[in-house]
Amino acid sequence: MAETKSEVFGNFSILGKAIPRVDARAKVTGEAKYAADYEFADMLWGQIKRSPYPHARILNIDTSKAERLPGVKAVTTGKDFGGFKWGWSGPTRDEEPLAVEKVRYLYEGVAAVAAVDEDTANEACDLIEVEYEPLPGVFDVLEAMKPGAPLVHENRPGNICVEYHWNFGDVDKAFAESYLVREDTFQTPRMAKGYLEPPAVVSYWPDSNHVVYIGAKGSPYFPYRLLSRCFNLPLSNVRIITPIIGSDFGGTKNDMTPADYSAVMLAKKTGRPVKIVTSQYDVLTTDLRRHPMWLTVKTGVTKDGILKATYLKAVADGGAYTRMSPLTMMLTGCLTTLPYKLPNYKYDCYNYFTNNPSSAAMRGHGLYHSRFAADVQLDMIAEELGLDPVEIRMKNAIENPEPGKVYTAVNDVHVATCGVQECIEKVAEAVNWKARKGKKKVEGSKAYGMGFAAATYNSGTKLSAHNACAAIIRVCEDGSVNYLTGATDVGQGSDTIMCAIAAEVLGIGLEDIDLKRVDTAFTPVDPGSYGSRVTVLAGQAARNAALDVKQQLLEVAAQQFGVKPEDVEIKNKQVFVKSNPTRNMSWERLVRTACYDTPGKVIIGRGYSTQGISLLGLADFSKGVGDIGTNYSFTAEANEVEVDTETGVVKCTDNSVIAHDCGFPLNTQAVESQVQGGAYHQGIAAAIYEEFKMDSGQTLNANLIDYKRPRAYEAPMTQVIHVLTNDPYGPFGAKEASEGSCCSAPPAIVNAIYNATGVWIKDLPTQPEKVFWALKAKKEEKKGRKKK
Amino acid sequence: MIADFEYFAPKTVKEALSLLSQYKEAKIIAGGQSLLVVLKQRLFSPEYLIDIKGISALDYINYEEGKGLRIGALTPHRTIEKSPVIQKYFPVLSEMENNIATIQTRNWGTIGGNICHGDPAGDPAPVFIALKAKLKLASLGGERVIDMQEFSKDYLEVALDPGEMLSEIQIPKPAPHTGTAHDKLMVMKGDMGIIGAAVSIVLDSKGKCEDARIVLSNAASVPLRAGKAEKKLIGKVLNDALLAEAGELASAEADPPADVHGSAEYRREMVKVFVRRAAAKALERARAA
Repeated sequence: MAETKSEVFGNFSILGKAIPRVDARAKVTGEAKYAADYEFADMLWGQIKRSPYPHARILNIDTSKAERLPGVKAVTTGKDFGGFKWGWSGPTRDEEPLAVEKVRYLYEGVAAVAAVDEDTANEACDLIEVEYEPLPGVFDVLEAMKPGAPLVHENRPGNICVEYHWNFGDVDKAFAESYLVREDTFQTPRMAKGYLEPPAVVSYWPDSNHVVYIGAKGSPYFPYRLLSRCFNLPLSNVRIITPIIGSDFGGTKNDMTPADYSAVMLAKKTGRPVKIVTSQYDVLTTDLRRHPMWLTVKTGVTKDGILKATYLKAVADGGAYTRMSPLTMMLTGCLTTLPYKLPNYKYDCYNYFTNNPSSAAMRGHGLYHSRFAADVQLDMIAEELGLDPVEIRMKNAIENPEPGKVYTAVNDVHVATCGVQECIEKVAEAVNWKARKGKKKVEGSKAYGMGFAAATYNSGTKLSAHNACAAIIRVCEDGSVNYLTGATDVGQGSDTIMCAIAAEVLGIGLEDIDLKRVDTAFTPVDPGSYGSRVTVLAGQAARNAALDVKQQLLEVAAQQFGVKPEDVEIKNKQVFVKSNPTRNMSWERLVRTACYDTPGKVIIGRGYSTQGISLLGLADFSKGVGDIGTNYSFTAEANEVEVDTETGVVKCTDNSVIAHDCGFPLNTQAVESQVQGGAYHQGIAAAIYEEFKMDSGQTLNANLIDYKRPRAYEAPMTQVIHVLTNDPYGPFGAKEASEGSCCSAPPAIVNAIYNATGVWIKDLPTQPEKVFWALKAKKEEKKGRKKK
Repeated sequence: MIADFEYFAPKTVKEALSLLSQYKEAKIIAGGQSLLVVLKQRLFSPEYLIDIKGISALDYINYEEGKGLRIGALTPHRTIEKSPVIQKYFPVLSEMENNIATIQTRNWGTIGGNICHGDPAGDPAPVFIALKAKLKLASLGGERVIDMQEFSKDYLEVALDPGEMLSEIQIPKPAPHTGTAHDKLMVMKGDMGIIGAAVSIVLDSKGKCEDARIVLSNAASVPLRAGKAEKKLIGKVLNDALLAEAGELASAEADPPADVHGSAEYRREMVKVFVRRAAAKALERARAA
């Protein structure tokens, strides 16, 4: 197994090394409270009544029998919500909390019940009688795009959910001038997000004008805004409390579910707390999935393998509702121009509604699809030209801009720092790439091969006008500190980073800071935990808030020492005059002096992020130009696979290296564990194992036995190499960690399978049967050739 | 979730058998590792559940030179996997167990529960058939012993009469120069085999194949003996080509299902591979024995 040694970067007290997680103790001792752990006196259990049809008109819902069942306290249907619809943005509000006129996917919620216990709630759901008129449905994009196909939404002709058509430079001219032009079609599957904590919610109304919602949400200010509009309450009266979150990976735990709205409505109706815990089965049959996508890539190169142009056509199954599809299609297209120099680029995409559960964001959102297609095709091109995969990547990789300069891609994406070349070099060196070249390793039926890939990801993602993160720091009179954040740790370790940044700036210890998780009654508003934005933007807020506090305290210290504030420094909880450190006092003494010296101060610092909005404006989705990210991470990855050539089973060996340019690793341990667990592991999962199999809207493998999720046996540890570029737009130089490296694993695996066996698997995941038939076809082709 | 049922937890075989005769519709639950899944999916909703997991008298492994191996029906998978006696005399059982599900499942699931669930994808039944195992079935009327091979009737259906329960698995001492092996196609360790094969080969003193058993899992509605493939081997001095031919014959005998893990066509191809692989290992063991 590859050992990653604990490295130290920069000259900091806390940052730049392995920082223990502030939530580790609570989590391992079981003290950590997740949404489902919340209990209240008089609490009721809620349950959702779900549709047995993937597409049907609702003719009537009779709840009378359920209401008469002893123990049932309230029943709600979609009509109670008074026509409220919601969506990812204003123009895409196409979903109701509970379906009113039509259900559009199997098990969509149509009613909900609150009862004294879970059993009674379940029984009451069985007693709700719903009359449906089943409708013909569309279950894949080929059906959805056919003229005259049944419409998922009557007001959306052609079942088109999203389409973009972008064109930069002159691709036709570039193709005409290219030495080699290749066109290949790739396919990516429907995937589960993979959180082991199913969504759970408890809601109550302290009075008729205030609502409290405690739920497993990675972006708690989504429900804050949505519940305000749904229940016609001012934002000031909507209180979202964020418990510990058992991971997210995009999608469901950002967005709302029928259970979220229903719990709030049932709590309102009964005047009692209502809890709904979604089952794993409901998660695996109804929750948001990664978009299945078909990607046709046409690429032209010079004789030397220099990229001239790419035309990407992406077709996606968006499922029943729009959800985040506009963003998915944007992200799938907009960063094809990184991490390689690409002078001409065209993108057409079509996202169709179907009667499948909705698709939405998932780690590596968007880029995962296009980078897979483009980086596998790059290996195909390299082979045709007789170039080495590392060589062709180095030739095309964007160079790290000189400090103060910016690389501008053809679609106006701006990159201030780019470590992709260094990543490629370091990985090639670590796996001894040159020495492997031309050496075939075969042992019996096992063939071994290694594949290479590089990738990028946007960090500090900027979506709408409101991008700022904020923090409030309260210094208590004994020197302890409260950190109030709007950001949510969904397992990525952001709570630790926020505390570490604040402690670093203030010159105190990590243990001196107590972080308050989001409670919208007290914490500042925040866009949410998505798009690898938290460390970059909430991190800047942490820094600014801490600087504000520090300034206030330095002024007090300066008075005490009879110097100017800028002459004083705080380090390791010692406050001292820079020019004469023997003149000092303890942090506690300084805080006490500040708070108690008449008339006494109240030390509160505040800060918010500015970089997300001030740099170069927002990206334009319709044109595909501009910066979706505040800055961009880069990755290179090499994976070795073992292919059983008789069965088609592909396995990773422990020979794998990922170099990741996250700008500056604030917490080396968090970066490494994310790259291992949240990138390598999930990347392997996407490449080799995971896929929802569907039949007419029904998920056939809605359990964790038949839906294959790799464990440590299947995806051993990868070696992680840090590449530092110190980005000017991230706090202390930081960029995102590990979404980029989530995108490099699938192409690296597919390239490795080719290296081992000589077959290209263009359709993920590389499940045994696919590989088997491909190998068989190749064998027969060879035989055929010999005969001739 | 699971529908309501009445629950009994007898502590002795006798108690269990009288409950079984009293509640004809009752379902026995042992470790529940297979049954609970079916109950949760409401594919099956018994009114009475008799939990025999607490009958400690049926948790044993005995080996005697003359009699062979006796395994109590309620012996957990993990106990079999880790048993020094089994590792010494029947290593194939230990290896097979090591690839069943996860350690947690093996700790709680029982060998008898597995057999009685009657899943043709299960691993123990084919291995037991290859080892010529017999099953002891108990009822209030007395005991009877049948061949493991006669036990599987159809998909999730076994030859237990009403009021009857499995109490013991009996494996005879193998003839000299016997080798047995099991292999299955897994995407991840612990998977139900997409296809599985258990092969037992007995060599005579001259090294000719005296007897062979080839049993497949997930290749039909019951554990499937590939009779034609076996015949191909018997009476011959075995070599790689013969083993491959046996694989081809077994593949033609198989009638495998199609599901999310593989088509029937792919499974047929895999029968060839896994029969050959298990047979090669069995042959190697028979030669070494």
